[in-house]
Amino acid sequence: MWLSFSLFLLVLFSLLGLAALLGLSRRTSWLPALLSTVASIMILIVGVEGSGNWRAGAPVGTSILSSLSSISLGVDGLSAFFLIILGLIGLCSSIYSLSSFKHGATTYRAAYPLFILSMFLALTVRSLLWFVIFWELMTLFSQFLIANGREGSRGAALRYFCTTKGAADFMLLSVVVIIWKLSGSPAYSVISSVLPAYMSSHRLTFVLISAGMLTGLGIKATLVPFHFWVPDAYTSAPGEAAALMSGAMEKLPVYMMFRYLLTFSPLSAPLGLAVAVAGTLTLFFGTMFALRQTDSKRLLAYHSVGQMGYIVMALGAGLYLLSRGYTLLGSLALMASLFHSLNHATFKSLLFLTASSVYRRTGLRNLNRLGGLWKVMPLTAVSALIGSLAIAGVPPLNGFVSKWMIYVSTMPSSTVVSLFGALALFISSVTAASFVKYFTTVFVRPPAGELNVSGEVPPWMTVPQWILAALCVFLGVYPYLPLRAISRALGVVGVKAPALSSFPGVVVPHGLGNVAPLAFFVFMVVLTSILLLLVRPAMRLPGWTTGTRVLRETAMRLPAGSYYASFEENFGEVYGFGAAVRKLGLWIVRCVGGVARAAERCSADMNGMLIGAFVGLLIFVVVLGRGVP
Amino acid sequence: MMPELSTLVNVAFVVLFAPLLDGIERRVKARLQTRQGPPILQSWYDLIKLLKRPSIEPSGSFGWLFRLAPAVALSSVLLASTFVPSLLARSMGFWGDLIAFVYLLALASLFLALGGFASCNPYAQIGSHREISLLMAEEFSLAFIVAGLAVSAGGLAFSAMFPLPLKASSVVGVLAFAVMVYVSGARVPFDVAEAEPEIVEGPLIEFSGRSLGLMKLTAYVRRLLLFTVLLNFVIPFGGVLRSSVYVAALLVLSAVYAAFEAYFGRFRTADAVRFLKRFAAAGFVCWLLAVLGW
Repeated sequence: MWLSFSLFLLVLFSLLGLAALLGLSRRTSWLPALLSTVASIMILIVGVEGSGNWRAGAPVGTSILSSLSSISLGVDGLSAFFLIILGLIGLCSSIYSLSSFKHGATTYRAAYPLFILSMFLALTVRSLLWFVIFWELMTLFSQFLIANGREGSRGAALRYFCTTKGAADFMLLSVVVIIWKLSGSPAYSVISSVLPAYMSSHRLTFVLISAGMLTGLGIKATLVPFHFWVPDAYTSAPGEAAALMSGAMEKLPVYMMFRYLLTFSPLSAPLGLAVAVAGTLTLFFGTMFALRQTDSKRLLAYHSVGQMGYIVMALGAGLYLLSRGYTLLGSLALMASLFHSLNHATFKSLLFLTASSVYRRTGLRNLNRLGGLWKVMPLTAVSALIGSLAIAGVPPLNGFVSKWMIYVSTMPSSTVVSLFGALALFISSVTAASFVKYFTTVFVRPPAGELNVSGEVPPWMTVPQWILAALCVFLGVYPYLPLRAISRALGVVGVKAPALSSFPGVVVPHGLGNVAPLAFFVFMVVLTSILLLLVRPAMRLPGWTTGTRVLRETAMRLPAGSYYASFEENFGEVYGFGAAVRKLGLWIVRCVGGVARAAERCSADMNGMLIGAFVGLLIFVVVLGRGVP
Repeated sequence: MMPELSTLVNVAFVVLFAPLLDGIERRVKARLQTRQGPPILQSWYDLIKLLKRPSIEPSGSFGWLFRLAPAVALSSVLLASTFVPSLLARSMGFWGDLIAFVYLLALASLFLALGGFASCNPYAQIGSHREISLLMAEEFSLAFIVAGLAVSAGGLAFSAMFPLPLKASSVVGVLAFAVMVYVSGARVPFDVAEAEPEIVEGPLIEFSGRSLGLMKLTAYVRRLLLFTVLLNFVIPFGGVLRSSVYVAALLVLSAVYAAFEAYFGRFRTADAVRFLKRFAAAGFVCWLLAVLGW
């Protein structure tokens, strides 16, 4: 250990605090980005080294008020794993912002480092109450990243803030109930030793607390049908902020779900199944709707929803299988869930950065008008191709390995979970199709009209893309390092990860499945290079258009919206159902708004308010007073 | 025999035998349509001729992706042939399982489509749209069959699946898989992406010489590998008997599939997708039977 944890925290706080202060100044816009980069590297190092128990701060108090007067920070295997994700994505998007910060507003530059800091604190804090507080701060700062002065961004930020803030209140309510019921402290260690036994004997409390926690976490984890804030938010946020939110922020609910479902609550099959169903719906509808998008960032945002579905589905399936006695499959599914979190962070951030680079150079996000950019932006094109193949799950890239783990852990179990695995397999091909569309519309096929492009983006924008692209290859080809960190993380939540790594492949015992990404990689690279030497073209001639005289390259160009029209027509029920669900979600939002407005109108009436307050107080005394001796 | 050596034998067999199988199918189709038909080695002659010719690149194309596409497509199917036991039962079985197999074949289709897009030819783009639409619909049917077979065999590794246990779900699954082998081999009602009389071979239109040769070989190897997995599901024994039964069964399957092919016209894309969507019901039945333990 090269640094004591307290000293580390001091340095980190001052770096990010200074970055936030400097962000308020207009002149040195690269300085806050540089400080954030350094801070991200520090977070990454803590994540990698975080096997030891790093602790700082006073022990947590024993009541709600006294527990707020002290704070305890620490790193264990689970938070270390998510710190690695945060550090990696923070690093890449901060490098990217070295040259993009100058376009942003001052609030944006000031909120960016604080956003990273609040995520770091939410991951390292050891008390549930403080977790909620930092979670809310994270929501607050991320809102400034979305509202950045672009057209429509304020509405998107407001919708995002209200939705996730409302969801967080459910979570806060659950936390308060947990502390109140146990009349104890919100420290993770205390809760995990007392709560599971209590909840397994009080089923109703268990259901209510879980519903509250999972609503709060699930809405942030973009579960369908509460994903409606995602597309607008990610389209409004600049590329590096969208990368950070989609890559790192969406993983925080996964972190707390692991902690809550595996250490705070007893293993329960129905709860696991509910989570798995929510994940399956999310991956199915999120990706099916992504297939239809014609805006580059909206497409990525919907895929973000879909990939979160994979993560949550694997988590729920793991819980379900563990509680049904499938120890091997269950722990494998949990591993897959964590691994896919890391992989999704890498490829989705990469894709957001590429979309942002394209936007900066062309001012366009419309896939119908973009095209042919490989000529002017070859570096971005290659990294976008790697990212697209990785999210499509092409072997041996990282998306393939984690999806493979999801299939192997779900499909062979003779439960309903295996159907979820089948749907995930189908959706994987839809993802591939969608990214063929993203890549070919932006980079390959000829544009509809003349594009005014001034060349490749500056090196500070290509470097982070290449770092992430290299990670997409490395994590897939050599999955042993991430799998080791994952085993450590699962050890913290009391799940023994199965020993899989038998070099050179990943083998799941009992004939469940096996794959050797390293061998795949070597074989493919060698054979492809040999064949490439063989097919070196002799000459370039104009394309053959069956003798038609004036068939321009764009003559049969399909618009991005009807790329897969015949497929989408046949799966029209999906879209019809999705639209109905969306209507329901919007209706709920409108109803809540109506109630709020009614309350606001009532508040003008003094007598009514006083009577209402009195009745409310009476109810509280009657309900809460029962427990007092 | 060492697994490396027998893998080498298997890959060589796949590469040499796949065009031959296509020659046989062409002959069968010709006879059923009362034509004379080419000699059995014709597909090999065509391939050799193509491989001797240099390839031409269309001037508006996305250069390196257009060159990369046939190379990646062929190496992905050849990679699949290293771990699927074909002529000899032993191969690099620890390299991959059924999921890896499905993904590698999808990778070949993906790069066929990307190659079509990269050529920037309008016909190729139409073909590529169709190729991907059909790929999605195929996976929709196949996913349930794979899940059903996985439950039935208790795993996805080839050690568990080859051969499948004798259960109702396995029978339904294998029959449904046989249909998917037909579809996935881009045979006539489902050749909407290539569609020679309509969009002149779709994604392949701009490929010529060696790169076209590699694409053709990819298609042949793909068909042979699909047959091989289907046969592996049912052949219960090893040794010389396995090899001879395997080759004989390949010839029979090939003749049967060619006979079906001779009597169909092409589906429209939407019809093919609709068929595959409905066919998913068979996969679902297989899965349901497997979960019930039958």
